[in-house]
Amino acid sequence: MSDPLYTEIIIDEARNASNEGTLENPDISQHDSNPMCGDSITLQMNVNDDSISDVKWHGDGCTICKACTSVLTQLIKGKDLGYVRNLKKEEILSELGLEYLLKQSPIRIKCALLSLKALKLGLYTFLGKKIEDSASLNNLKDEASKLY
Amino acid sequence: MQTSALSTENIRKDFPILQRMVRDGKPLVYLDNASTTQKPNQVIDAISDYYKNHNANVHRAVYALAEESTEAYEKTREKISKFLNIKNKEEVIFVRGTTEAINLVAYTWGRQNIKKGDIIVTTEYEHHSNIVPWQLLAKEKGAKLEYIGINDNGELILDHLDSYLETGKVKLVTFSQMSNVLGTISNSEEIIKRCKKAGVKTLVDGAQSVPHMKVDIEKLDCDFFAFSAHKMLGPTGVGVLWVRKEILETMPPFHGGGDMIREVHKYETTWNDLPYKFEAGTPNIADVIGFSAAIDYLSNIGMDAIRQHEIDLTKYALEKMSQVKGITIYGVKDILNRGGVISFNFHDVHPHDVATIIDREGIAVRSGHHCAQVLMERLNVAATNRASFYIYNTKEDVDKLIKSLEKVSELYKL
Repeated sequence: MSDPLYTEIIIDEARNASNEGTLENPDISQHDSNPMCGDSITLQMNVNDDSISDVKWHGDGCTICKACTSVLTQLIKGKDLGYVRNLKKEEILSELGLEYLLKQSPIRIKCALLSLKALKLGLYTFLGKKIEDSASLNNLKDEASKLY
Repeated sequence: MQTSALSTENIRKDFPILQRMVRDGKPLVYLDNASTTQKPNQVIDAISDYYKNHNANVHRAVYALAEESTEAYEKTREKISKFLNIKNKEEVIFVRGTTEAINLVAYTWGRQNIKKGDIIVTTEYEHHSNIVPWQLLAKEKGAKLEYIGINDNGELILDHLDSYLETGKVKLVTFSQMSNVLGTISNSEEIIKRCKKAGVKTLVDGAQSVPHMKVDIEKLDCDFFAFSAHKMLGPTGVGVLWVRKEILETMPPFHGGGDMIREVHKYETTWNDLPYKFEAGTPNIADVIGFSAAIDYLSNIGMDAIRQHEIDLTKYALEKMSQVKGITIYGVKDILNRGGVISFNFHDVHPHDVATIIDREGIAVRSGHHCAQVLMERLNVAATNRASFYIYNTKEDVDKLIKSLEKVSELYKL
C-alpha cells in the first residue's frame, strides 16, 4: 500500500528527525505555530563568524512538518548567513519530493514551510538588532515580508 | 427502547450531497456529524419555498405575506416545544446557535446574579462555548470558574460536584448533555437533582444530545437549555435557548432594538412580552422555517429509532476499530452511555496526517482539538481524530473508514 504524500522517505525523515533538541542560550530562538494543524515548533540557532554553528529544534508537529524541519536543519547547519537568508522553499521541498504541494495543497504547504517561516523570522529579528541605519532595516523588513 | 430499524437507503435519497463524488470520483463518506450535519431536500426546499413564495418580515405588517411568514416562524416555536416537551412556548428563544444561547445567559442572567467570590461550575469535557463565556464573566465579576473532572473512562466525577456544592458559593452548574469529543452521555438528571437540592441553577448544553436522542426538558428539570439547528439537519445560524419562565421574567434584555420593545420614548423603553424581549431585530426567518422542516424529518423517523441506529453503528465501529493496529480509542466503553462519536489516535502519528490519509478515500472525519482544548489537556494529547455518525451513515461507511485506518497502520508500520 502506498500514498503519494506519505512515502517511506518522509515518514522515516519525520520519525528519525535530525537536530531535535534544545540549545542552551541560543543566539536565535524562534517559536511558531500553525493553528489549523496544531503544529508548534521552536527553532534555535547559534551564530559564529557569520554562519550557523549549531541548530536544534523541538516541538510537536505532523509528519510533513517534522520531515521538512529535519531537512531544513540539515541544509543550514554550518552554512553562512548569506546562504541561509536566501534559502528557498523549493530547496527544502525538493529534498522530499514535495514541490507539488505548492500547487496542490494550500493547507498542507503551511505544515511543510512552518520551520522555514520560523527560520526567516528568527534570522531577520537577529539581523535587525544589528542594523543601525533605518534604510537597510526597511529593506530587511521588505525581504522578511516576502518570506514565501 | 424501540428496535424499529430506520431505512438508511431511503433516507440517503433525501440528501443530495451524499450523491456527490470527491477526491477523483470517490463517493463521499461523511463522518463529521458532531461538527455539522448534511441537509435533506425537505429542509433545502422549505428555505427556498419561503424566499420564493412567502418572504416578508415577521411580527410587524398586516398584509398576507407578513401573516404567512409570522405564522410559519411561530409554528416552529410550537414544534420545538412539542419536540422537547416544553410547557410554555414563550420560553423558547431563537438565537444564532448554542454559542449565542450560552453567551446570552452569561451576559444577562450571569451579570445580574454572579457576584464576587461566587463559583460557576463547568466540566472538563466542555466545548469552548461553555467555558469562555464563563471565564469572561468570572473575570468581570471576580468570581471563580471550577471544573468537574473526568475519570479515565471519560465520565464526569460527580464527587467533584458535591465538594463544590458544599462550599455554598456555587451559583450555576453548566454542562453538556453529551460530550462532543468522547460521546459520553452525562448523568444529567442526577447532576440537576443534586444542584436543585443545593438551590443552584443549571444550564444544559444540548448541542450534541438533542440531534441524537429523545430529550424531555420538563423531566430534565434544568433552568437553561441550549442547542443548535445545524447539528440536526437544520440550517446554520439558528439555535434555541430555553429558559424557565420564572427566571426569564427576571432577566434583563440581551440586545436592544426592534421587535424586543413595547414602547420606546426618548429616554425610557418598556420591553416586549416573552420571548420577543430576547429577539431583537429581524430574526433569521428563513432558516427558522428550514429548521421546522428538519424537526418534522427527525420526528417522522422517531428519536428512539435514531438513537438505536447510532447505537448499532457505534457498536459495530468500536468493535472493528479496536482491531486496527496502533490505534487508541477514547471514551466510555458502555455503549448505552455514549453517543455516536468516536475519538481516536494512532501511536505516534499526528491526527492531521491521519485525516489526510483518510480524506484520500473520500471520507470526511475531523482532526484537531474539537473546540475542547481543556479536554485535550486532560487526555494529554494535542489533538484527536473524530468520526461521528448520523441517520444516513451505514455499516459500509464504517467499513470504508476501517480500510483507510488500516492504510494508516500500514504506511506507518504500526
